[in-house]
This record gives sequence, C-alpha cells and structure tokens, in this order.
Amino acid sequence: MNLSDNQVNVLMRNLIRARHFDEMMVRRMMQGRLIGFYHPAEGHLAPGVGACSFLNRDDNMNPHHRGHGMPHMLSKNIPMHTYLAEHTGKATGCCEGRSAFHFSFPDDKVYQMSGFIGHNFAPSVGWAWAAKRRGQGQVVMNCSGDGSYGQGRAHEAMLMAANWKLPMVFLCENNGMSIFASASEMHPTENVSSLASGFDMPAVVVDGQDVFAVAEAVLEAIERARTGGGPTFVEAKCLRFREHDIGTPDLEGWEDRSDEALAHMREREPVRVATERVLAEGLMTQDQIDALNEEALAEVADVEAFADESPIARPPVAELEAAVFAGGSSS
Amino acid sequence: MSRTITLIEAIKEAFQDEMRRDEDVFLVGQDVRGGIFPHTKGLVEEFGPDRILDTPIAESGMYGVAMGAAQEGLRPIVDFMFGGFSYVTFSEATVSTGQYYFLHGSQRPLPLVMTAGVGTGQRLANDHAMSIHGTFAHHPGLKVAMPSTPYDAKGLFKAAIRDDNPVVIPWHMGIMMERGEVPEDDYVVPLGKADVKRVGSDVTVLANSLQLKHALGVAEKLDGELSVEVIDPRSFVPFDLETVLTSLEKTNRLVVVDEDWESGGFAATVSARVMEQGFDLLDAPVLRVTLPNIPVPGGYMEEYVAPNPERIEAAIREVCA
Repeated sequence: MNLSDNQVNVLMRNLIRARHFDEMMVRRMMQGRLIGFYHPAEGHLAPGVGACSFLNRDDNMNPHHRGHGMPHMLSKNIPMHTYLAEHTGKATGCCEGRSAFHFSFPDDKVYQMSGFIGHNFAPSVGWAWAAKRRGQGQVVMNCSGDGSYGQGRAHEAMLMAANWKLPMVFLCENNGMSIFASASEMHPTENVSSLASGFDMPAVVVDGQDVFAVAEAVLEAIERARTGGGPTFVEAKCLRFREHDIGTPDLEGWEDRSDEALAHMREREPVRVATERVLAEGLMTQDQIDALNEEALAEVADVEAFADESPIARPPVAELEAAVFAGGSSS
Repeated sequence: MSRTITLIEAIKEAFQDEMRRDEDVFLVGQDVRGGIFPHTKGLVEEFGPDRILDTPIAESGMYGVAMGAAQEGLRPIVDFMFGGFSYVTFSEATVSTGQYYFLHGSQRPLPLVMTAGVGTGQRLANDHAMSIHGTFAHHPGLKVAMPSTPYDAKGLFKAAIRDDNPVVIPWHMGIMMERGEVPEDDYVVPLGKADVKRVGSDVTVLANSLQLKHALGVAEKLDGELSVEVIDPRSFVPFDLETVLTSLEKTNRLVVVDEDWESGGFAATVSARVMEQGFDLLDAPVLRVTLPNIPVPGGYMEEYVAPNPERIEAAIREVCA
C-alpha cells in the first residue's frame, strides 16, 4: 500500500479506538446512560477514520452522523471527554450540555453536526470559499452518506465547488441504506459518485471496509485540493451491521434484513479487514495490535469516568436567555 | 456634512463604508454585480468580484457561502433579492443560523447580515410581495430590523454589519426612492431602539417602512382633530417595548400597523406584550391593521389586502371612539 508505517499505525489505532468507542456508546444507550439516541457505527467505521486521520487541525470537517461523528472526530484528534460529556447532558460538554448530539468544536474546525441530513453541504461551500480566499492551503472534508445526496443542497454544493475549484473533498459514505430504504432504490445509478461527472469533478470509488484504501484515495484528493486542483468525489462503499439507530427495527424496505446477509457482511468487519492486511503484509504484529486495544479501552474508561463524574447541566432559564445572542442582547 | 439621497442609495453607502472599513465584509447574492437593485450597482468596480460575489441560482448554496464564511470569521452580507426567496433556504437561514450560537454553548458568534427587497405596492404577488420580518422574528437567535427613512437605512445597515449576531434587515420596495437627509459622516442607528417619528397625545400608532409613511400622512391629515403619536419600531428583535409603553402613558390607545399577515405576526406579539406589561395603561383594546390571512394577490387586487391610509385612519378613529 501507498502508506508509510506511521500512517498505517495511526489508521489502525484510530480504527480500534472507533470500534471501542462505538461499543461503549451502544452499551450506554441500551443502559439509558446516553442522551437522545445513537446511530451505531458497527461495520461502518473505516470511511470516517480513513478520511479524517491525516487532516490538519485547521482543515474543516463535517462528520457523518453514523457513530454520531465519533470515528471522524477522534481521528481528527478531538478530545472525546467533552464529546461524551455533551452526549450525556453534562455541564462539561463541548456545548455546555445544550446540544445533545449537535457537537461543535470550532477550534478544531468542526462547527456543527446538523440534525437536518444534507445541511452540511451549503456551509461546507462557505468554509471552502473562505479557505480559498485565505490561500493558506486549508481543505474541507465533507463527510455524509448516500442518503444525503438526495438533497438538492448536495447538487448545489457540487456545482459551486466545481465552478470555483474549491478545496473540498466530498466523501460519500455509501452504506447502501438510508433508514430502511436501499440506496439502489433511491439513486438511479450504481454509484452515487456518477453525479460528479455532471460537474467535471474527478471521482473515485473505494472499498469502504478497508481503512487503508479509503485513506489512500482521500490523501490523493486532499493533495489535489491543497494544490488548487479543486474538489474530488470519493465514494466509500461500506456496510452497516446494525439497525439505523438503537431501538428501531432492522429493516430493508419493510422486511427484516436476513441473518444470512448480515453474517456475510460481518466477515468484512473493518478492524478484521485491516488486521488481516497488516499481518499479511508484515506491517504490524499481533502484539502491537493488542497494545492498541488495551490503550483504547483505557481511553474509553477515562472518558466515561470524566462524563460520569461531571455535573448535569441545568442552568437557570435566565442564563439561557442571556446566551441566545452574542453580547447578551434580549429579544 | 449631510445631503439628500434616496433610501436605496443610503443602503449602498452603508455597504461601501463598511466594506472600506473592514476587509472581512463581503456581499453574496445573485446578479448583485450587475445590480438587479440599485444598492449593489457599481460596487463590483470598487471591491471586485471576490467581494461582490454572484452565485448560481441556488439559494441554499448561496446562503451556505455566507454562513460558512461567517463561521470562518468573515462578515458576509447575503442578498436574497426578493424577501420571499429566502424561503428557498429557510431551514439554514432560520433554524441553523439562529440556533448556531446558543446551541453550541455560545462558543462562537455568527456575524451575518441578510437583506432583501420586500413589500406590496408593485402588484407582483406572493413570492415577490411578501414581508419576511415577522417570520424571521419568530425564530430565536436572529435580530430583525427594517428601515423607514434614508437616515435610518444607512445607520441600521451599518449597525447590522457591525453586529456579531445574524441580522435580518429587509427594505421596502415601496419607499426605496424616498429621499431624506443623510450624513456623510460615520454613524449607526443602534438595533433595538424605536424612534418617535411624530409626537402626539391622543393615540399611539406603531408603524414601519411604507406603513410608517402612510401613518405619518394620516397623522398630518387628522391634525387639529386628533393628536397622533407615530412610533417607528425600527427593530423587531430586539423590540423596544419601553418606548411604546412610555408613549401609552400619555395616549392610552394603540394601533399597530404591520405589513404582514395577521396570524402569528409581529403586530400580534406587540399586542400581547402590551396587554401583559401595560394593561393598566390602556383605555381601549389594541387594534391591528395588517394583511388579512389570504395570499398576497397580484394585479389590482393587491390593494384589497395591503394596509393603506384609509384603513389606518379607520383604526385610529375606532380606537379613539
């Protein structure tokens, strides 16, 4: 593969972290110890990790909602302590416990995680336009799913990014499903990335179960964006092992997904795929992988302890009223 | 130094002043370079196409340039052309923008100005004639203002551009060519300050923009018979209720004129707040002069729905009866 030993290590580490964090989030959701809902990322971890592990701190990123952006954000070195504290309604959360899962880490250039699917596209254009205007080489990593490309906003953003040769990567994490509906029913083409040809935008389809394949494709796209070559569409074909969000039935269309199909999918679990590759290619040892697992479990425990020990955010209403406008102006 | 210019020229001056003062200010819209309305005409020659930015007819993408750039620390003005067109990117312009600061723990402000031509009088109907101030004022996190005079236009737009919050500031097409004294020097009209445009003692009329012009005309006509105080709210959010209550201490009667639909409109909010906070000041129920709840028709039927001097006079007489 076209990746350095260090890059392979970083990807492996972040992928393993993402899996343990996802397991923790699922567990807490089922225990009633997470606010709101949770869209599990099991099976669908590699695109976010592959796309975000080598971004600079001043590169903009929009996270996909699966895993509630966690694979993307931990890969961008965003501390998970205030992330989980936010998702548990704590005063130490990144948004003071106000946002549930609408995270914002502006210093790390993750401004928002909108609950409106496809509302990443329009502001992404603005971030990229500002980056081009500054001329300091920042890029925008715009991650969202196959379903989001139903939005007209996606088409508007691709139009404007292509028109202005903006430094953007459109990462389409195509897991083949919206909530229940199949992408094959909702898109007329086999690949969502076929859309890119209408804008003369380079496009590539990669195996989204293989974190290294995603990273290789994305690194090329980032390089193109940084050097003035404009936007690239990267479609990562991936798999969703679980229901849309914890507690909803796991349907395809209106019927249960088959156990057989799910068992077949699980053979391509991303950590397993990556592990087999690094061992087969002699890039890492099993001992190194075991150590990464131990590190990740310790990190998860530390993050959970921070969230659990933090006070619940319940400020007086007057404090909220004063927080609506910058400068504290009333309505 | 002060001279007489039109309201639309005053808006253009505000843009020019603020863009000269602050490199981060830029304008984004559709056909703003060519100047589909006069307030943007010629700006591209001074500021260039990177600061007077035309986008495809893609309102969400266009709005996204402004919103994303504001998150990146720039200070965009986004021009919807006609107010109704803001509805094409309504979720971004209201929910995403208004909640941005608050929901995210008040970490980063979102300095952004939205503007557009609005209002009846051109017989354009519906999407080209509707007002937007009331609808935007409904959504928390957005400041909303509208100028009635060239002086206020320049001062309010400058205040809006300098404000760290999202500000919606439409202007009424029916008064765009009204002339008035405007200083060449720098000044702002602060957001959230109403202005008593005419002093009176029998009844208070709250009116803005084209309807303020109508109200002042009616007040003049009734002079000697009824003494009408006319207040221009200038800002809808924040709203200067204090100035209205102070006026009511003298007049005890209120007519709210608002070029918006009656249901859920700004006039209803004012009426409710006056009842809640100034009930003892009232000698008569607050009356509203608004658009009835039917879509704004085009052609000659527009005059059936738009507030006008006759309806304002009738309301004044009724509240004073």
